[in-house]
Amino acid sequence: MNQSAAIPAAPAVATRRIRFSFAKMMVFAVLGVLIVTQLYPLLWLLLYSFKTNEEILSGNFFALPSQWQWSNYSAAIESGNYWKYLSNSLLVTSVTMVGVILLASLTAFAISRFRWKYGQLVLLIFLLGMMIPLQGTLLPLMIMFSNVDILNTHLSLILPYIAFQTPIAVFILSGFMKSIPHEIEESAIMDGAGVFRIFRSIMLPVSVPPIMTVCILTFINIWNEYILAATFISSERLKTLPFGVNSFVSQYSVNYGAIGAFLVLGALPVIVAYFLLAEKITKGMVAGAVKG
Amino acid sequence: MNVLKVSRWTIAAFVLPCLLIYISLVFVPILISFYSGMLDWNGIGESTFVGFDNFVKMLTSDAVFWPAVGRTFMLAGFSMLIQLPIALFVAILISRYVRKPNFLVSSYFLPVILSVVVIGQLWKTIYNPASMGGMINQLLIMIGLEEWTHSWLTEPKIAIFAIILVGLWQYLGYHVLIQFTGIQNIPADIYEAAKIDGADGFKADRYITLPMIIPIFKISVVLSFIGSLQSFDLIMVMTGGGPANATDVISSHMYKMSFLSQEYGYGSAIASFLVVVCLAATVIINFLFTRLDKKYT
Repeated sequence: MNQSAAIPAAPAVATRRIRFSFAKMMVFAVLGVLIVTQLYPLLWLLLYSFKTNEEILSGNFFALPSQWQWSNYSAAIESGNYWKYLSNSLLVTSVTMVGVILLASLTAFAISRFRWKYGQLVLLIFLLGMMIPLQGTLLPLMIMFSNVDILNTHLSLILPYIAFQTPIAVFILSGFMKSIPHEIEESAIMDGAGVFRIFRSIMLPVSVPPIMTVCILTFINIWNEYILAATFISSERLKTLPFGVNSFVSQYSVNYGAIGAFLVLGALPVIVAYFLLAEKITKGMVAGAVKG
Repeated sequence: MNVLKVSRWTIAAFVLPCLLIYISLVFVPILISFYSGMLDWNGIGESTFVGFDNFVKMLTSDAVFWPAVGRTFMLAGFSMLIQLPIALFVAILISRYVRKPNFLVSSYFLPVILSVVVIGQLWKTIYNPASMGGMINQLLIMIGLEEWTHSWLTEPKIAIFAIILVGLWQYLGYHVLIQFTGIQNIPADIYEAAKIDGADGFKADRYITLPMIIPIFKISVVLSFIGSLQSFDLIMVMTGGGPANATDVISSHMYKMSFLSQEYGYGSAIASFLVVVCLAATVIINFLFTRLDKKYT
């Protein structure tokens, strides 16, 4: 580095430019290779899902399918309960999302805006929960749920999902609500608004951005959740998508392409959401990680 | 100072629904778990209180337990020593050389948001023998390295590494994204000032980026460590802990003891161990980074 000072100015600039472009090429090579490693397995799965068994076994995995076997998809949809799993996942995830937003925003509002002694303590209790692994609660939850007879219902998923998503939600929302100027509710009180009115007509509308973040985090976490679903649900008609995909793929072995098709179908809802909201999702996930 | 003075009942109405659900479904189960760790119980019949017997058995005479603990920490180690440095390096490259980084970063991130079930089953297919359409083995045969082919997930010595690779692959994009965001948030004028003082390129990274990124890097470390401790879905989906417990980690061992062997008491003891390790790990990592942070600021 320091020697370059000794070399006359003009050649130094030239070598620097060459070095610079060479470095740049290397950088793009590295980043390009990484794109291939991160995306190629997914592309491979997509091609796989459209091939016949012969094509899959032939060993020519680069090749495009000679004929796109849409029949793999119809076979997958017919032999698995794809639509059932999908609607179960939609139901469980959306109820969880509404529950988390409602409960967490009420609590966050109380923590960040009420004048009372225990706000920080409550927040601390929630923070502690972020470090507790879900697996540790599997067995006791199962026993609790079987005692109140809600095992093998969607409620047995929704309740713990809400419970495990609230800490991060309370944390994000109360952090945001603290930053809202107090003049807002002072003038609202002047105008005669009650606490619930302030919450509903001022706090909630203002807090839409962090609520979006919470929605995204909850969606990604709950939509993909597998352990609780696989432990608490046993009826075929109640399975959520990840559980359904897993049981289909482990049992169905006749047609490789159809297995691939089912995996693609299993990934599809999230991928579609990601295409529509990539920026929001990445931002939300970072916000969730950074604040967590 | 908060301005809203409200009655006790109002506070209760706002806080209690959430707090009760949360405490009864997160905290109470953990406490129950600690208690049932001291029972000899198969879940249905009578339970007998055996004190710390389960914990003693777990720590001293369970042949699967310590290897499973070792594997759990191996997961964390690989993630921290390989995945995070690569992610940091890539994040630095992107922020320095790529003008429109969004597409790149979002592509790296795509595997992160997919369900572990899809990821696990996809890689299971990739690892299949060539005769069942597995990509890696077909690739090896194609380039003439037939003797390198393995049945990756059923050979006890290799299987855990095959799984670790998938974990590293899936979450690399997450750490790239987190650290890239962290680098973006370092004020540009610091680099400009350093440039005037003669620190440019990798020198600037060494003296500015690395120290400034420590708080964000900590987040990556915590996520990867806690993620590894809780790694469970991937293992259950890909191998179920097999062949012959060769890929068991703490949580999969706990799951199999509780739900397959019906040893509820013993399973609870392992679950309690997992909770304690998670809490301890978070505290220790935070402590270490507080010291590191002090050193640099």
